[in-house]
Parts: sequence; structure tokens; C-alpha cells
Amino acid sequence: MRAMKFTALAAATLFSISLTACGSDSSTDGEGTAAAPTTMASSAPESSAPADMMTTFGAGCSAVPADASNPGSFQAMAQVPVATAASGNPLLSTLVTAVKKAGLVDSLNSAEGITVFAPTNDAFGKIPKADLDKVLADKKTLTSILTYHVVPGKLAPESLAGAHKTLQGDDLTVSGSGEDFKVNGAASVVCGNVQTANATVYIIDSVLMPKS
Amino acid sequence: MRALAGAAAGLVAAGFGVATAEVLAAATRPAAGPLIAVGGAVIDATPTAVKEFAVRELGTSDKPVLLTVIGLVVAALAAVAGIAGRRRRLFVVAGPAVLGLAGAGAALSRPAAEPYDVVPSLVGAALAGLALWWLLRGGDRTSGVRVDRRRFLRAAALVAGGAVVASGGAVAVRRSVGGARARARESVRLPAAADTGPSVDAGLLTPNKDFYRVDTALTVPRIDLDGWSLRVHGMVDRELRLSFADLLARPLIERPVTMTCVSNEVGGPYMGTARWLGVPLAPLLRSLGVKSGAEQLVARSVEGMTIGTPVATLLDGRDAMLAVGMNGEPLPLEHGFPVRMLTPGVYGYAGSCKWLSSLELTTFDQFDPYWVSRGWAAEAPVKTGSRVDRPRPFARLTAGTVTVAGVAWAQRRGIAAVEVRIDDGPWAQAELLPAPSVDTWVQWRYSWPAVAGPHSIAVRATDRTGAVQTQSRATPFPSGATGWHTISVTVS
Repeated sequence: MRAMKFTALAAATLFSISLTACGSDSSTDGEGTAAAPTTMASSAPESSAPADMMTTFGAGCSAVPADASNPGSFQAMAQVPVATAASGNPLLSTLVTAVKKAGLVDSLNSAEGITVFAPTNDAFGKIPKADLDKVLADKKTLTSILTYHVVPGKLAPESLAGAHKTLQGDDLTVSGSGEDFKVNGAASVVCGNVQTANATVYIIDSVLMPKS
Repeated sequence: MRALAGAAAGLVAAGFGVATAEVLAAATRPAAGPLIAVGGAVIDATPTAVKEFAVRELGTSDKPVLLTVIGLVVAALAAVAGIAGRRRRLFVVAGPAVLGLAGAGAALSRPAAEPYDVVPSLVGAALAGLALWWLLRGGDRTSGVRVDRRRFLRAAALVAGGAVVASGGAVAVRRSVGGARARARESVRLPAAADTGPSVDAGLLTPNKDFYRVDTALTVPRIDLDGWSLRVHGMVDRELRLSFADLLARPLIERPVTMTCVSNEVGGPYMGTARWLGVPLAPLLRSLGVKSGAEQLVARSVEGMTIGTPVATLLDGRDAMLAVGMNGEPLPLEHGFPVRMLTPGVYGYAGSCKWLSSLELTTFDQFDPYWVSRGWAAEAPVKTGSRVDRPRPFARLTAGTVTVAGVAWAQRRGIAAVEVRIDDGPWAQAELLPAPSVDTWVQWRYSWPAVAGPHSIAVRATDRTGAVQTQSRATPFPSGATGWHTISVTVS
């Protein structure tokens, strides 16, 4: 129906000479939209993608692959659940290793609507190697640290600032506004509002530590 | 005659031509309208990267923008034809002819095209040419002496008026046809199944509104039942064309079947169970005489999707069908109205084409369907799987008896057992609820004496051949994900 209406509109523009933009047609006549299929061998039959998938912000976003067929690209990440999305992104490989060691892949992938603060490889690099190895070997501590990076519900940038109770149980605090946010006063959001099928991701430059 | 007047003549004539072509198409074959046809052809010819860019940047206004651009291009060409046509009458013929042939060619390129789909564009072009000729008549080709301005304006107004009336007619016709089409699904009365199959508990079914949808259609096709038919052709002794009424006149079966999407991750949501009503496919194919060597049935949708299924799979006794009903109502538009294929035990991309327009019997060598040409497996039996639905991941629970519950599936083979493991403990048998057939998922539950602390819950299924679901992790690409669904919870 919408296409038909616009055919009529476009036909009208042909002889009205004063060409105006078609404007936004918000007709909710039951037509759904779905992501265009990709051509790469790794592309999947896809479900509907969120319309706001490209409203990411932050200097760190430029490190994310731009080619839509790359599994680390924003477009590819938006199609799959969060742990799968992260595993396609080379910036997050240490985090992905940690998530696998803690056995949290399925939990993150099948949680409905969460926000993940995802430390980059460089963030993990700030931790002395001996300490990092110790944490990676201790499933309980690792689980506690990782779940401290997850907040229930998808937080949009507008509602990001403030205190949020994490899945670990402790609160984390986000300060800042616009495109400039810090978590717990130390970790900066380097690339924010990355969409995955079930989670909104804010990529940060330091690993967060729970108090308890 | 000045250039401005020439341009105006071109625009007015083109508007008249397009509008008459559209009203003609609206009244007969909406898909043959030049604007929609050219738009469709442009979308098909656009590289995927550009399409993704368009969807990303323009969202749902991608198609209005496309149609506007097409309109602008036509307008520009028409203005040029009008200006050039003042001195060289060749352009008065060539301009409309080029546009008309473009529209006709685009209409023919559509997946469900019929030869007569060229008519609206060609008639529109002829009328535009005549109108342009008439508007430019009397203009002096050699001296460029100004034609009577008043006469020209009168003529232009007349043609423009005709264009407005025709486009108004096109809108009105489309509205009534579109409305009728929206009503068409509501007016469908499905006959009862001749063979209703096993009864099924409502709790096992996924409501239509919650049923997952994974496809590549930019807009949900709305199909005119009167113009729709299903063509069965290729390696058969006798081709067949069936109308919707023809299909409904055949004996129907109704079966509960669980559909699974190949891109579903371990524990993912892209599966659902419905009662499907349809025409059994195997007897239909056999009645047409499938030629020896026909290995693959390629189903095509009205929007150009192709899905291939092994003929041997379709003829092995499973309830593959041409589905017309879902959970007691006509197929919802987004699930393939009026007819979709349904192949139990095969991932949707390899057996369950929606918005069906044709079925072709061919070989695997002859044709790679859409997803297969993108590297996905040509044969795609659903892998045995299981999922924890309760409790939810990261749930905070109270110590005591916690009911762990979920589904397990092994379509065609059936589920023999489901086991649950807490942390690194032993596997414990879960209780299976009755399932209507091997083609549906099975609900299971397990009473867990939960003690305080962080815990992981894993599940695995065993099918009726005795094969245990593999622990080995596989990604959805190229033939479906595997691994034991394992979730974390905290008990206090």
C-alpha cells in the first residue's frame, strides 16, 4: 500500500513541476521492513533490524570495520545477539575469551534486552598480565567482574547517565552527557550505542571492578 | 517557441503519459505500472552494499526516495525531449519511446511478469508522444518564431488537466483495489482439513503474532488472489497451474510442525510451532510425473526469493505441504499469504518458501537457490537441539525447589530424552510432556533443589535414534548452530 501511495505521489510530482520531498510517511498499514540481505558467504538469513542501528557515537567507532559484510561491522553486529556480535569484533577478543571462560556466552546471547559495557583489548591490557591470567582462571571472580559490566534493559544514550544496578548486584555510575560519558569516573565510553539483536553496547577503555 | 515552453510541454506530456500508464496498470496489473516496475528493477540491479547503505541511511523511506528520484529522472528526460523536440521532431518520438521501452522492459523483468505487462508503459508512452506532438505543433522549426502563447497555454493546461484526472483515477483505482486486497485475506474461508492429524495442546503452539519472521522482503508482499496462481514446471511429465481456489479444492491436511531458522543461535528465539493447514505436496508432485533425475525442487516467491529442497526429502513420507492456513486462520501476510511451502525437519531457508509463485523441478547442478549461492548448505536437516526457557539467564532465585523448563526438538526423529546438568554435576533426567508428533518440539521440566550460590544450568537432548545432542559448538553458518544451551543464575 505504501509503495502504491508513493507511486501516486511520485506521479504527482511529475506534472506538478514544483517538486517537493515526499516527506515522511508513517503509514502503519502492516508492512514490515527487514534488513537487506548481504552477499557474503557468512551472511545469515536475517530478521528485522532496528532502524536506529547507525546512531553510534565516539572516536573509538572508527576502529570498527566499515564493510557491512565484515562480522565486526555495526551492521553485522546488529543482526546477531551480543556475545556472537562481540566475537565478530577483533577489538573485543579478550572480552570474548573471558566470556567463554566464564561460560556466559549463552546467557548473554539469550538474555532479553540488556546493556553491556564492553572493555576493549587495550582496556584488558591495562591490567598486569599475571593478575589478568589469575582472574581468567577463577570462574567465580571472572563471572562477578563480567556481570558487573551488564545492566538489565537497553539503555539509550539519553538515559545512560546515572546509577544503574548491574547483574552482579552492585551499582555502576555513568557521568557525562551527549557523546561524552565516563563509567565510575574512570572508564571512558570510546564508542557508544552499538546495537546488537538483544543488547545495546557501550565500548569502554577500562575494565570495571565491582566493590564486592 | 522558447526553451521554457518546450520543457513545460515535455513535462506535461510525460506526466500525462505516466499517469495514463499508471491508471491502466492500477485497473489491470498494479505490478506493471512503470514507476513500481522501474523501482523494482532498480532495486534488483543495485549492489547489496548500496542497498544496505540505503536501508541504513533512509530507513523505511528508502522506497519513497527511490520513486522520487525515478520521477526526477523521468522529468529531466521529458524536459530535454520537449526542448529538443521544438526543432527536431525526431525527439518527440524518441523521448517517449525511450521512456516507454524502459518502463516496459522493467515490467518484463519482474519475477511474476506476464508478456502483456508491457502494455501500460507502451500505451502511456504513445499518448505522451501524441500529447507532445500536439503541444509543439505550429512552432516554427527553422525560424523559432514564437507560437501563439495563449493557444499553447490552453493546450498545455488541457494535457495537464488530463494528467491530473488520470493520476487521480490511478490513485482512486489503487485505493479501491488495495482496500479490496486487504479485505481479500479476511474474506478467505479455509475449508476444514480432510485429515486433521494429531490433536495438539494450545500451550505447545506459538501464537501467529509472536511467530518469528526471518526473510529478506523489504516490504511484505500483498498478493491479489484473483491474479495469483502457482505454476509447477520443469522436470515433470505435465506442467500445472493452480489457482488459490484449485488448491483449496484439493483434500487438505492439518499438522502441528515446529519451524526452525538456520540462523538461530544456541538458545535463540527463531523457532515456533503452529498448526499448518495445506495441500500435501508429495501426492501433487507424483500426479505430475516427476522425471527421473529431478533432484531439487526450487520454490520461487513473488519477490524473487528462491529456496531449494531435495525431491527425495519431499517424497520420503513427511508432511511437506503447500500451506494456506496457520493456527486456524489464513496465512498472515508476513508469513507468506496466500501460500507458502512448509517442509517439516528442514530449516526454513531450505524448505519453506513464503509468498509462493512457482515450483520448478530441476537438478542441484542446474540451480543454486538464494542462500546456497551465498555459501549455506544445500541440504539442511534441522539438528537436534534443546533450550532452557525458565529460569531466564542471570535470574536471581530463592533457594529451594526451582522448576527448570524449556523445549527440545529433533524434527522427523523425535525426542527420546532430555537431561539437565547443574554446574559440573551429573546429568539428571527431565520430565517430558506429551508431544503430538515427531515434527514438533517437546516441552520438558526438571525440579531443581537449588542451593545458594552462582550456578550454571545446561541442557541436552537425545533423539529417538539414540543420538545425543552434540556439545561441540558450531555457528549457524553454514548448516545450523550446535552446542548445549548453558545459562547462569544466582540463588540466594
